[in-house]
Amino acid sequence: MSVSSHTDTHSTSASSVSSHATGVADSGRWSTRRIAVYALFVALSMAVSFIEFPLIPGVPWLKYDPSGIVSLVAGFAYGPAAAAIVSVLGFVPHVFADPWGSLMAIAVALAMSVPAALVYRRMRTRRGALAGIIVGAVVALVMAIIGNLLVTPIYAHMTVEQVAAMIVPALLPFNLAKLAVHGVVTFLIYKPISNLLHR
Amino acid sequence: MNADRSLPPSAGDDSNAGASLADRGDGVTGGPGASIAAELRNVRFSYDGGTTWALDDVNLTVRTGERLCIVGPNGSGKTTLSRVIAGLAAPDGGTVTLLGERVFTDGAGPDPDAYRRARRRIGAVFQNPEDQIVTTVVEDDVAFGPENLGVPRADIGRRIADALDSVDMAGFRAADPTLMSGGQQQRIAIAGTLAMLPAMVVFDEPTAMLDPVACGEVMTVLDELQSRGTTIVHITHHIDQTRAADRIIRMKAGRIAADVTQGLSSAAADDKAGSRVVMDRDADGGDIPAGRADSAVDRPVSPDTDRQPQTSESSPIAEPAIAVTHVSFSYPEDETPTIDDLSMTVARGETVALMGPNGAGKTTLARLLCALERPAGGTVTVAGIPTGSRKQRRELRRHVGYVMQHPERQLFAETVAQDVAYGPRNQGLSDSEVRERVSWALRLLRIEHLADRSPFALSGGQQRLAAIAGVIACRPDVLVMDEPTAGLDAAASARIHDLVRTLHGRGVTMVIITHSAAEAAALHARIIDLGNGEATPAATADGLGQATAAQRTSTRHAGRGNDRDRHRSGVNGPLGTLDPRVKMVTFLVLMFTAFAISNAWQLGLAAVLTVGVIAIGRVNPLQLFTSVRWILGMLAVMGLLNIFFARGGDVLATWGPIAITTGGLGTAALYTLRFALVVLLGAVMLATTTPTALTDAIGSLLAPLRRFGVHTQEIALVLSLALRFLPTLARETHAIIDAQAARGGDIETGTPAKRLRSLAAITVPVFAGTLRHADHLALALDARCYEEGARRTHWRQMRVRWRDMAFVATAALYLAALAALQLLIQ
Repeated sequence: MSVSSHTDTHSTSASSVSSHATGVADSGRWSTRRIAVYALFVALSMAVSFIEFPLIPGVPWLKYDPSGIVSLVAGFAYGPAAAAIVSVLGFVPHVFADPWGSLMAIAVALAMSVPAALVYRRMRTRRGALAGIIVGAVVALVMAIIGNLLVTPIYAHMTVEQVAAMIVPALLPFNLAKLAVHGVVTFLIYKPISNLLHR
Repeated sequence: MNADRSLPPSAGDDSNAGASLADRGDGVTGGPGASIAAELRNVRFSYDGGTTWALDDVNLTVRTGERLCIVGPNGSGKTTLSRVIAGLAAPDGGTVTLLGERVFTDGAGPDPDAYRRARRRIGAVFQNPEDQIVTTVVEDDVAFGPENLGVPRADIGRRIADALDSVDMAGFRAADPTLMSGGQQQRIAIAGTLAMLPAMVVFDEPTAMLDPVACGEVMTVLDELQSRGTTIVHITHHIDQTRAADRIIRMKAGRIAADVTQGLSSAAADDKAGSRVVMDRDADGGDIPAGRADSAVDRPVSPDTDRQPQTSESSPIAEPAIAVTHVSFSYPEDETPTIDDLSMTVARGETVALMGPNGAGKTTLARLLCALERPAGGTVTVAGIPTGSRKQRRELRRHVGYVMQHPERQLFAETVAQDVAYGPRNQGLSDSEVRERVSWALRLLRIEHLADRSPFALSGGQQRLAAIAGVIACRPDVLVMDEPTAGLDAAASARIHDLVRTLHGRGVTMVIITHSAAEAAALHARIIDLGNGEATPAATADGLGQATAAQRTSTRHAGRGNDRDRHRSGVNGPLGTLDPRVKMVTFLVLMFTAFAISNAWQLGLAAVLTVGVIAIGRVNPLQLFTSVRWILGMLAVMGLLNIFFARGGDVLATWGPIAITTGGLGTAALYTLRFALVVLLGAVMLATTTPTALTDAIGSLLAPLRRFGVHTQEIALVLSLALRFLPTLARETHAIIDAQAARGGDIETGTPAKRLRSLAAITVPVFAGTLRHADHLALALDARCYEEGARRTHWRQMRVRWRDMAFVATAALYLAALAALQLLIQ
């Protein structure tokens, strides 16, 4: 659009020079780098959601799916929008296998990573990260229980009351353990990873 | 939606939009050598704000139609130079003119519009073939660049055909590039560049990750481009690849150390400079004369003496360190076994070089030796330990060290010393022993000075050495290394060769996978060639055997591509040709409504529908079953839950408060079967839809949200790229889990603290790898001219036709019947 003979005035932008940006597709809200990072985080979230570790040795059916860690890290590194994109798109392959379960998992992932990212955006310290993780975990725990109340009756012939009776003995401890592992691992690994991000 | 007119030729760059590949790119040529493709004046480039200079006052002119090679050791600035020439990075100072566009001027900085115009005619091909591929269908991948340039749809088809033809991949239009060999992937990446009709192509070590056969394939394409007059800038480590170049530039510490014009026309005056470059190249090329570094080895490296060299003890009756007898192995997805009836032995203290083309099973054999895989038949015994039971395999890992390909991708700790300490610590050694092991290993690799540095701040070569130290610190009796010097320059390679000879002197048995016969000779290794089908000890890899092996691999790879095509039959069937938007929405409606099924009649109707869909979709039922196998466990749990919770009818059995009733069984059957139908429908949907079609559909369905500021096109691209990289990251994550397991890291057992530490040792390198791929991918997107907000055309068109309407009508009819049954039964 503009004429190629850029008049050599004093419009030097020091920051863009030092970042070696060419001004093409590396600025603006969705740079190619940003698209690539989002895509790879979503891919990682999908990849690890297929790797499931038993949470408690000897109880093989209570599987831990580490994809929540990816959403949390994405939110810390790139903000709530990134957390939301990774949380939603990361479950797309599962929607065609387990539609209701995936919707619930997406809701829980969003409930954990978006509030955590919002808190961390205001307090970019270790304490902020910890506070974000705790806030996110509480919101996610509530969401997980609501989700189970709504979704479990679709899969099993149970009334909402029967599911509610399972909250304390089953839903609460399992989800608490899962969210605790998400939180602890994210807290431990975020510093080394943020060093990689801001190299 | 799609383009029916080409971009206004504002910059003149689309004037050749409809031109064929044969007559492109030389609109500016006045005669050979007369015109200039790229000109760099006093270019400086620093990654650390000016402390060190990756490019230091570089002056270079690339002439149109020239084939220029850039050589030089690791870290000399070759890659940086290539990025500047490709218009992918702006320097810190100097003047850059690309294809007649003054893109960077000292003082004024970068000119984005000039960069944009120049970049549309510059292609770039990078080291890692896989990271440049953006979709899972070859023709869609090749179309990506032209789409970004806004080329009219009608022209894209011809460009795809021409581009694939020029890389000799015309028969692979519908294949999945992510399942191809590295050489084929690289040729697809080149095709994706050629489809953009570039006047100049910059190749950054395009063969660095390829075996010799694939290397040859790619070089043939370069020769072809050269003969057509495309300007080529080619960065390489290999001397033999510079032979066809018109000119060779040698980089050293950010400066051009030599600039030699080759060929018949060059004057005799060039001879002197030429021979100098040749000499330098010998030092750089990677192959060190055997025995040259021998004087450096056998230094006393260990303070302790508990471990005597065992070479003197070896006697004819001694048990071999490695015994592989009649082993066969195949990966579940492959039809032919990767290893078929293989037998070999390696004596204690022996050094063996494992050779053979890609796909011959070298890495698989390495994994078998390290007990990361179990043979389907035959036995593997390492260090006297058979690998039959889980306990034996865990025991064996204490004796075997495994340096995987690119071991630097497993680094995770905050310092090199902590990373190296990971293995010894997992062995349960005391703190002082761990410290001793760490300093021993670092000394052995001569990287003591890096102990307190972050592994992520090191150069690639240093990272490789640090990662190897982490394996050596476990003191393995048997060490397996998979291409330990791949991608390293001569100095770093020599360091690893020294290590091998030192460990040999200490009696360690070593199996080293390599593509280089010279490397095998330098290590005085016995060569086992897996290429001839059986592991008979071959004295030399003679040319003939090599060639036949090579042919066999390439045909096998080709055959594999065809196999995958056949597996994709569902994609090409009647369901595959439906409009993906219509198909996706309809399937989701069918799936969600299936949960409303509440009686046997409805269940029967849904079953008929599902069987009909499977039949129409021509989906192989066996493959369908394989793809939904994982859900069986969940179905069983659900079924049990229902049996216990649902009541009604006659009581069949009771245990305390739990009763099994006929009603319970009926409910369990209903709930389980209806969920099974949902799972099957979803599997049919995925089996008949390519990821590209799926993401196109999602992008199109989301498009109305664009009005609210949602980046729908970008979200669809993110999803498409994510599905493309999903298998890559899954594979790498498993590799990292295996590598840390080989160092004794285990997430499933141990104290919570130890398990968390193990999880971190996996998570950190996995994220590092994710970000590395993201960097490469961002560069590849730049090279293919993707830009947010730029007007794109679409090669794949989505159109709702009568058959889509028929499909929707059938689904509607089914839903009406389902509802009617609901009312009738109640």
